Amino acid sequence: MMEVLTSFTFIVVAAGTMILAFAGGMVGAISVMKGQSLIGDAVGHATFPGIVLAFMLIGVKETYTLALGAVLFGIIAFLTIQMITNHSKVTLDGALALVLSSFFGLGMALMSFVQGNPDFEGTQGLNDYIFGQAAYMLRSDVYLITAASVISLFILAAFYIQIRIYIFDPVFSRTAGINNTLMNFIILIITILLISVGLKAVGAILIVNLLIAPAVIGQLWSSRFSTVLLIAGSSGAFAAFTGTYISTAGENIATGPAIILTLSFLMALSLFCAPKGIIRRNIYKRRMGGVS
Amino acid sequence: MIEVLLVLIVTALATSVPGVFLVLRGLSMTTDAISHTILLGIVLAFFMTNDIRSPWLIIAASIIGIATVYIIELVSRTQLVRQDAAIGLVFTALFAAAIVLISKYSGNAHLDMDVVLMGEVLFAPFNRIDVFGFSIPAALWQLSIIMFVNFAFIALFYKELKLTTFDPKFAFIAGFSATLIYYALMTLVSVTAVAAFDAVGSILVINFFVAPALTAYLLVRRLSAMIWLSMLFAVWNSVIGYIIGFSYDLSIAGVTSFTALVTFMAVFIFSPDGWLNGKLRALRQKRTFTRAMILMLMNEHGHTRLTAGEITSHFNLNQKQFDNHMEHLLINDYIEKKNGQYTLTERGEEYTHYTRSKYELPI
Repeated sequence: MMEVLTSFTFIVVAAGTMILAFAGGMVGAISVMKGQSLIGDAVGHATFPGIVLAFMLIGVKETYTLALGAVLFGIIAFLTIQMITNHSKVTLDGALALVLSSFFGLGMALMSFVQGNPDFEGTQGLNDYIFGQAAYMLRSDVYLITAASVISLFILAAFYIQIRIYIFDPVFSRTAGINNTLMNFIILIITILLISVGLKAVGAILIVNLLIAPAVIGQLWSSRFSTVLLIAGSSGAFAAFTGTYISTAGENIATGPAIILTLSFLMALSLFCAPKGIIRRNIYKRRMGGVS
Repeated sequence: MIEVLLVLIVTALATSVPGVFLVLRGLSMTTDAISHTILLGIVLAFFMTNDIRSPWLIIAASIIGIATVYIIELVSRTQLVRQDAAIGLVFTALFAAAIVLISKYSGNAHLDMDVVLMGEVLFAPFNRIDVFGFSIPAALWQLSIIMFVNFAFIALFYKELKLTTFDPKFAFIAGFSATLIYYALMTLVSVTAVAAFDAVGSILVINFFVAPALTAYLLVRRLSAMIWLSMLFAVWNSVIGYIIGFSYDLSIAGVTSFTALVTFMAVFIFSPDGWLNGKLRALRQKRTFTRAMILMLMNEHGHTRLTAGEITSHFNLNQKQFDNHMEHLLINDYIEKKNGQYTLTERGEEYTHYTRSKYELPI
């Protein structure tokens, strides 16, 4: 066991995923409380054409440039969703599904162009961004994740009070002089930032779980905003550590999915055992004389 | 290669008709979840049968699809997790399980994850079967059957679907089982998604379901019209996607999906109730309103003679806006200009009366 824990790959991957999951859990909690969980899903899928396009334009498969393309397309996707829902009768649900799949389709079309074109070399790695290949994470990837996470958490801390008021009472926050549009934009930017740097670790499809699951776990165990954020961050980091360990110790288990499965297990456990969970509720109901 | 186009069109038709009801019921993202989780069913059945075209794949994947819907329902019914969060949690968990299974056990088996997820409609004609003596692509045969099943289902249960979609409470009182219709619809959606996966891939199939229906939704208000129109858009997207994809050697399903977004955005911007018209209408309204207010001001005591400076400062206008408004008012003979001061004409006075009654102000 110690052999695994002290191996260089494990330390790099575990550090990267834990930092990512900690920040992702905290930031994701805000989206979940606002009822926008699936925007992360749409943005995650929509980053794919950004990555391929960044590769086509700059020509190197360097994490920084690819992340930049991902951020850009994440923002474009979000603005498209917002424009559609604000100016037509199409619901958020429909707009998300449309934008998510169309952007992904654009990514696939660009990908097929790159793969069929001899001018571009070394395209194999691009597919890793769909499913994630944490095992190939480099030290530079970890630096990028750390930088993005620190920036995100710093912004979160700086606007902590405003964001909290905005989430729970948008009307009051507006009368109190808080710029709601700005708050929404800030939340979104840090979400897109974390998604973009996390793509290599868990992939475009699964990254949304890293945002939602810790938040829901946090909400099940506590009702205080600050505590929910802390529990979300820590459960994300814990799952990242466990998942990375499982994937390093076991053979041929991808790291991203292992983390997601650990997180899902924690989630299911919380759903039953947490103070607000199903078991407690049923006991309470029975005590109150109701039928459960 | 016309067979490729046929497969694409049949897929688009088979998906777009149930898609209308998915869009109207707000089930688009639930369908997205299904299209991801059927991968788990495909993987499980593939490990058991080792045959990518086995009918067991469709059965297993459909069961997983229905199970996904049921689990999402179960989780969100505890009222501990919001529905959108439940969707995100359930589909990622099942999808992660599928990827772990693939990476762990399919080391030398021929299950290419890219093909399952991305699909490639170009390969469809290579897998052929004989039907009544004709050799046709297996995917075309399979999807045609599913298309007719979908059409038949919608035609037979049109009334029930319509009622449970638009007024579930009345449907319940009238004795229709909304749950039964819901699960029947979702079963069909799962089966269709599985059958379509190797033509268009499991991620893009959601686009084939919802994009034509959403585009039609912008244009019409009648359910039957929406169904016909979404079929039209489905064919249109497929043909354009096929032509572009084929001539530039790109992923046809990918191009078709993006074409669907372009079509949607074109309708969204340029349709009669669209974004552009809305903006123009707002602009026009603002202009008319400002002009009416300038006349109203002149109709008040103490403001009957106004200089250019007074008007611009009062309404916060810049020179260009001011010239524009004044030119219009002068040409229409609402005001007249004497010694650099503007006064109302008789016609202008009448117009202010009309404005007062229009905006329900005291006369």
